[in-house]
Amino acid sequence: MNSEHKALERYVDMTELLARVDNDRELLVELLTLFQEDFPRLRDALHAAVDAGNPNQAEKAAHTLKGMLANLSIKHAVQLAASVELAVRAGDAQEIQKAMAGFDREETGLLAAVESYIASRNP
Amino acid sequence: MKVLIADDEAVSLRMLEKTLERAGYEVTAVSDGRKAAEALCDPDGPRLALLDWVMPPLDGPAVCRTVRRKRSQRHVYLVLLTSKSSKEDIIEGLESGADDYLIKPFDPGELKARLRTGLRILELEDNLLEAREDMRYKATHDSLTALLNRGTILELLAGELNRKRRDKSSISIVLGDLDHFKQVNDTHGHVVGDEVLREVARRLLGSVRSYDLVGRYGGEEFLVVLNNCGADTVMDRAEEIRKAIGGSSVRTSQGSIPITMSLGVFASLPTDDRSLEEILCEVDGALYAAKSAGRNCIIQAAPAEGTLPQSHCAGRTRSKSGTKTDAIK
Repeated sequence: MNSEHKALERYVDMTELLARVDNDRELLVELLTLFQEDFPRLRDALHAAVDAGNPNQAEKAAHTLKGMLANLSIKHAVQLAASVELAVRAGDAQEIQKAMAGFDREETGLLAAVESYIASRNP
Repeated sequence: MKVLIADDEAVSLRMLEKTLERAGYEVTAVSDGRKAAEALCDPDGPRLALLDWVMPPLDGPAVCRTVRRKRSQRHVYLVLLTSKSSKEDIIEGLESGADDYLIKPFDPGELKARLRTGLRILELEDNLLEAREDMRYKATHDSLTALLNRGTILELLAGELNRKRRDKSSISIVLGDLDHFKQVNDTHGHVVGDEVLREVARRLLGSVRSYDLVGRYGGEEFLVVLNNCGADTVMDRAEEIRKAIGGSSVRTSQGSIPITMSLGVFASLPTDDRSLEEILCEVDGALYAAKSAGRNCIIQAAPAEGTLPQSHCAGRTRSKSGTKTDAIK
């Protein structure tokens, strides 16, 4: 197991994810690449909705992010996205900021690990 | 089997697509609810669908409601995919018309098993529809000749008469009876008699237009409804039928058998408001007259307004007097 795989495992339940893609590592890389492309768009939509005080859009964006992360077995980030969704639904501004900050912190390391893994698979 | 997947989120969409392609499905992947609803409302569209709950511009439950409202012919098995898992959410999803739901992240084994459940239900529906269609056909058609049976042709004739009254159009009814058919049965047996009846049915169908109706009225009696056919043309049309039946012998397993048909004809004019029973009585009387006139001929009942009733025997047409018509009745 290479270091990139181990780095990704800090965020992703690789056993579960590989089972979901039928051990197809090529597909795994394709999905992570899609994640890399799509995640920033969804995250930006979430931030924009929160900043604009649009709870409906914010909840939808958090929900979509949660689904995407769940399918990729990025488990801790799923919980963080769920916290954002719940905070938005509750309309608790303080809780929203706290949950968003936690989500943002997780994101940096997660995206770096995904990028390294993809690079190691596409030398 | 075609399956539609709808998800606005690219990772989940691709993951589902690949999983289902591997399982042998023909996958249509769309990224919004409106496209999903359009594809599923198409009568030739997929009958199995996995729908994400949160999608623009129509969400999964809205797609379910649209499909249930618009497509009623065949069932579409709808599965909602969601990371919503509260009891209220699940109830809302099922109430919208979904057949099942799956919680994200999906388990490939569970996903395939649930789709197989959907396939079993669709197969069951197909079998039931096929059986219903088969029963409907058997209930409306004569089992020997495959023509409309008596009940059905009379029902359709009643409908056509109503339409004629509304549209002020014309309709003609021909009642034909095979001549000396008892002799065919007595001489060659009922199996051969059945062969003759089947061939007569084929010839009758071949002698009318696609929008005319042909039914087996009784043993060797056949009723033909000629739509948009008035008194001016009915005798020509009846003559075509007479010739089609008697023009050549019927080839049976026992050899060729010559047959002829006597026909009673009734032309109902736009202003005619006689009932179905009265019309049947008229045409039956005309058929009786054709038999009395020597068979293999046509007698027209009820004088058309401004015209004389006619008879047509073996290629000779002659007008009959009003008095004679009364006698036919």
